[in-house]
Amino acid sequence: MMAEETPKESFMSGLGTVLRDALLITAACGAVGLLVNLFHPEKIPYIAEEEYETLVPCPEPGGEVTPMEPADPALLAKETFVVDARAQEEHAGWSFRGAMNVPYDYLDPTPDEVIHELAKKIAKSRAQRVVVYGDGDRPDTGEQLGKEISGKGIKNVFFVKGGAPALKQPGSPGGGQ
Amino acid sequence: MSRFLQWPGHAWLSLPARLYLGWVFIYACIHKIAHPGVFALDIATYDILPLGLVNIMAITLPWIELCAGVMLIVGFRTRGAALAILGMMVMFIVAILMALAKGLDMSCGCFASQAAAEDDPISYMTILRDSGWLFLSFYVVLFDRNPIGIDRLLKKRRKSDA
Repeated sequence: MMAEETPKESFMSGLGTVLRDALLITAACGAVGLLVNLFHPEKIPYIAEEEYETLVPCPEPGGEVTPMEPADPALLAKETFVVDARAQEEHAGWSFRGAMNVPYDYLDPTPDEVIHELAKKIAKSRAQRVVVYGDGDRPDTGEQLGKEISGKGIKNVFFVKGGAPALKQPGSPGGGQ
Repeated sequence: MSRFLQWPGHAWLSLPARLYLGWVFIYACIHKIAHPGVFALDIATYDILPLGLVNIMAITLPWIELCAGVMLIVGFRTRGAALAILGMMVMFIVAILMALAKGLDMSCGCFASQAAAEDDPISYMTILRDSGWLFLSFYVVLFDRNPIGIDRLLKKRRKSDA
C-alpha cells in the first residue's frame, strides 16, 4: 500500500481544509459532549453555581532558615544582626543585646513594608548573618520571621532554637542579662 | 530542506505516530467522560479559567479528545484531528506552565483525578512529555498522507466512481 499523494506535493497542501476539519471536530464533539451531559448519571450544570473548593498546597512564602543553638558564640559576634520576633511588651521586659524588635503574629502577619524596611537595615548594617529569636513555642515566631526575612533575599538567616527562653538560660550568651 | 520535507517515508512514519496519539487521547478521555465533576475540579484547580467556563470545558474537552483520538486511529480526517490535538496540547502545556509558575503542587489531571494521581505531581517532566505529544501531532498534521485509513478508502471509491 502506497501513500496516494506524492511527496512532490507541497507538504503544506490542504492546510485550509485541515483547519476547517479541526474546527468542525471541535465544534461537533463539543456539542456531543453537551448533549451527552444531559443524560449522564454524573451530570454537572453547564455553568458552575459555586466556587470549587480546591485544596492545593501553595508554597510557603519564605526562604530557608537555619537553626542555631542558643549557646552559639556567633550570637555575640559583631557581624551578627539580631532580631527579636516577640511582642513589644516582651521585648521591653527582656531582650538580647542590641536586638531589633519586629513583632511577628501568625494571625496578623507582619506587613510587607516592615519586612522590606528590616531587610534594608540588615543590608545596610553589613552584617554577615541574621539571627532571629522568638517565643520558642511550636511553631516558633523566630523561625517564622526568619523565613520571611530569608524570603526577601537576605542570606545566612538563622533562628535560635528554643527562642528567648533558651537564650535567658545561664550559659547562653544572653543568660543573666 | 525541501528534500527532507518531501521524503515519502514521512507518510509511513506518521502512521505509528498517529496511532499512538490516538491511543493516548482515547485513554486520557475515559476517566474524564465517566466523571465530569471530578474533571471540572481538576480544571478549577489550575485557577486559570473563569468559573463560568470550568464546567463547559469539563463537559466538552473529553469528547473532543475521544473523537480526535478515534479519528486518528481509523484514519478519517486525520490531519484535522491531529490539528485539534495540537491545539489541545498547546493549551495543556500553557496551563501546566502557568500552574508551575504559581508553584501549585498538584497533579495534571491528564489521565486521572487529582486524588488518584497525588503521587504524580506536575513538573517540567510533564511539560517534556506533553511537548513530545505536541511534536507528534505537528508531525502528523504536516506529513500524514493517509497510507492506511478511511480517508484513503473514500478516495479510492471516489476515483473508481469517476
